[in-house]
Amino acid sequence: MPKVKRSRKPPPDGWELIEPTLDELDQKMREELYEYCIREGYADKNLIAKWKKQGYENLCCLRCIQTRDTNFGTNCICRVPKGKLEVGRIIECTHCGCRGCSG
Amino acid sequence: MATSLGSNTYNRQNWEDSDFPILCQTCLGENPYIRMTKEKFGKECKICARPFTVFRWCPGVRMRFKKTEVCQTCSKMKNVCQTCLLDLEYGLPIQVRDTGLSVKDEVPRSDVNKEYYTQNMEREIANSDGTRPVGLLGKAPSSSDMLLKLARTTPYYKRNRPHICSFWVKGECKRGEECPYRHEKPTDPDDPLADQNIKDRFYGINDPVANKLLMRATTMPRLDIPEDKSITTLYIGGLGEDVTDSELRNHFYQFGEIRTITIVQRQQCAFIQFATRQAAETAAEKSFNKLIINGRRLNVKWGRSQAARGKEREKDGVTESGIRLEPVPGLPGALPPPPMSDEDASTNYFNLAPTSSSAVMNLGLPPPPGVAMPPPPGFGPPMFHTMDPMAPPMPPPMAMRPPGQVHYPSQDPQRMGAHASRHGGP
Repeated sequence: MPKVKRSRKPPPDGWELIEPTLDELDQKMREELYEYCIREGYADKNLIAKWKKQGYENLCCLRCIQTRDTNFGTNCICRVPKGKLEVGRIIECTHCGCRGCSG
Repeated sequence: MATSLGSNTYNRQNWEDSDFPILCQTCLGENPYIRMTKEKFGKECKICARPFTVFRWCPGVRMRFKKTEVCQTCSKMKNVCQTCLLDLEYGLPIQVRDTGLSVKDEVPRSDVNKEYYTQNMEREIANSDGTRPVGLLGKAPSSSDMLLKLARTTPYYKRNRPHICSFWVKGECKRGEECPYRHEKPTDPDDPLADQNIKDRFYGINDPVANKLLMRATTMPRLDIPEDKSITTLYIGGLGEDVTDSELRNHFYQFGEIRTITIVQRQQCAFIQFATRQAAETAAEKSFNKLIINGRRLNVKWGRSQAARGKEREKDGVTESGIRLEPVPGLPGALPPPPMSDEDASTNYFNLAPTSSSAVMNLGLPPPPGVAMPPPPGFGPPMFHTMDPMAPPMPPPMAMRPPGQVHYPSQDPQRMGAHASRHGGP
């Protein structure tokens, strides 16, 4: 699909270097190529597997749902939907700096 | 030396292991649901430097995570919370509580002495039942009203707030909105409350918060005893409509014999006169700022001396139930009250104004106005000559008086007390 520029601001530094690569990726991607990328480890297989699940479509990283990493066996704070987090304060999770990857 | 977790437990200061912390309600926070982590030998006790079990929990939203700072042995020695080091019963600093209960607990501060002491304390604690504090504190009186007055009534959760962001104070906090530390003005460094030290607070020496509280304690309202030793009446104010004579009696009889109780409903007050001065003093001490009847706190003060009150009563000329006392016909008017104190009696023989009393020592003065009689002997009671105007016949018996005319409080039909008619004759 051709890219549509949604912001009126000019892109930051380095855009000119990567733009051609990204465009080629878009044009040339097909199912066989996709599977190859996954097999070779250019794409994170496990994370993509999570994205296919309901509720985890926006998951930031795999560490944030790893319950063994927390004191009380819970998910990271970034997994709490914004509506339930009544603080009204910006939360950046310690693992990946995510500000809320659900809800 | 608390260097390793050895196997020799005899006569050694061992590392402490516990399974539940000793905490006050304020430190735990407002949420009744808490998740707490437990770490065996997580940190050194801030006082005795032994490794102990550290408990860590979140006391509420926007609060910092709190953890136990001193070991259980140290906290049991002083009966304090393991994090905030405030008394478990009153929530007051150790120095204030010790002053209030007059406990002089000498915990040694120097290294070996301290270790020896904590080691012995630990053994003593293990032998006790764990509900009362060991040592001097266990033998102290269990409550003190000064401490009760100083203690807080609601929890003070401000002490659980996060610390001040020192980067923000310098202007360099890069975290911005998500910074968990407080972006507020730090406390004034000149304020004496700013430099507190956990060891000072624990040993009860040189604690600025305690000093401030004790200063406040001395300025609290107190009831001074009057110098006039003959006053045995207490003024009780703020009665309201429902406090009755019997309720007052029920409370005050424990201090001593009550001579009279007078309730003035109009002014919502009562006067309680005791038989002995001692009883009155005890009653005042036990009731001042403390007496609560029917949910109202009564204002207890000392009453005034008999002479002064007598004058006031006569001015009112009203009985307890509010009936106006008509002056008795045929009498020359209200009499001045007899002098009560010794001083008056010795110099004021003729019941004259005090300024002329010094000249009255000799008998060469004209007799008091309205009475022609020889001057009485110098030491005769002043009542002598004042009795003379009463020479006219005694007032007729009560039955002959027109009904409804009340001249004396005893004639007041609503007053409590014996009535001749009630008893149906001798």
